[in-house]
Amino acid sequence: MRSPLTPEMATQEVQLNETLAHLKTESETLKTKLEEERAKLHDVELHQVAEKVEGLGQFVMKTRRTLKGHGNKVLCMDWCKDKRRIVSSSQEHAVTMPCTWVMACAYAPSGCAVACGGLDNKCSVYPLSLDKNENLAAKKKSVAMHTNYLSACSFTNSDMQILTSSGDGTCALWDVESGQLLQSFHGHAADVLCLDLAPSETGNTFVSGGCDKKANVWDMRSGQCIQSFETHESDINSVRYYPSGDAFASGSDDATCRLYDLRADREVAIYSKESIIFGVSSVDFSLSGRLLFGGYNDYTINVWDVLKGTRVSILFGHENRVSTLRVSPDGTAFCTGSWDHTLRIWA
Amino acid sequence: MMSGRTCSSGHVVQAQKLVDQLRVEAGMERIKISLTAADLVRFCQDHRRSDPLLTGISASSNPFKDKKTCRLL
Repeated sequence: MRSPLTPEMATQEVQLNETLAHLKTESETLKTKLEEERAKLHDVELHQVAEKVEGLGQFVMKTRRTLKGHGNKVLCMDWCKDKRRIVSSSQEHAVTMPCTWVMACAYAPSGCAVACGGLDNKCSVYPLSLDKNENLAAKKKSVAMHTNYLSACSFTNSDMQILTSSGDGTCALWDVESGQLLQSFHGHAADVLCLDLAPSETGNTFVSGGCDKKANVWDMRSGQCIQSFETHESDINSVRYYPSGDAFASGSDDATCRLYDLRADREVAIYSKESIIFGVSSVDFSLSGRLLFGGYNDYTINVWDVLKGTRVSILFGHENRVSTLRVSPDGTAFCTGSWDHTLRIWA
Repeated sequence: MMSGRTCSSGHVVQAQKLVDQLRVEAGMERIKISLTAADLVRFCQDHRRSDPLLTGISASSNPFKDKKTCRLL
């Protein structure tokens, strides 16, 4: 039975409610101020600044390789820095193990290990060996532990740390050797679906995108969210830094890709067409940042002129959704993975 | 048993976090798009010659354009 409110409790409750109201007003004021500050800098559009830049000619890009090793949908892939190997993961059916969709995978910078995880809520590191007799599954090391599925993972600049994002709404930084949680990143209001580390020259930040339609930029050391962008109209499936580190692109279920300028702190381009109505699963830049490749749920790849905002090419080949897309480290090709069970290399 | 008091203080903590976060973001120094966009353009132009997918490279020098097969490791 609930005891009656004493006069002291009633006063405290009133005070708390006043504080709450005060804080709400302050947050509204700050939000308005943020919008005004961002609007002040919107003195020109990116494509206007790019008017004098030469247009791009016809692009002839074709599938150069089709890789058919998976028995099911390909969900994720990553290139090794030696550019000759890729790791990919898929939704394999397993009889003896519980459902283990592997949704994320990444190559270690040394090329000696891969990290992967998914519906097991973990990120595990597997050493690599060319010796087919070695039982690599036995050498697996569990590094990260979330309370929901692992959506993405990436080694930082060394084999020693891994950054993860999860359906539990957080990102986290882990020490591979000890499995210790080094930093956690809270701020998304729903599943985090993707992340990308800033190019090493630009410091210790990374960007994440989620089901809350937000893209957040984080300081890896402090755990602080330093910038937040909310212009997409649906889940953000993929984020990728522009090669200079001063901007990043995103791909969303709202069928658009967008470019966000970090120093102007706002969206500066939208890559969309009325005819494109299916979501973007994955985006990546060519080496100079001039081209943005997007893999779509309508089985196609659209290639965009980042500066002018126009589409330069549409590529066909996959027979189901393109789920993952990455440009090779040397920029000579890009790889796509699809629900049609194959990987394709394009150049 | 949840008293109204417990609900309120939880909301206050959350609201305070939001205000703190917004203060951090509002305090950021921003630069006009005319300047930042010029830098994005300059980066593209500076690197265009070393972007193989942009320039296209001859079949003889692109390792993926030859007829070798891929090995599943």
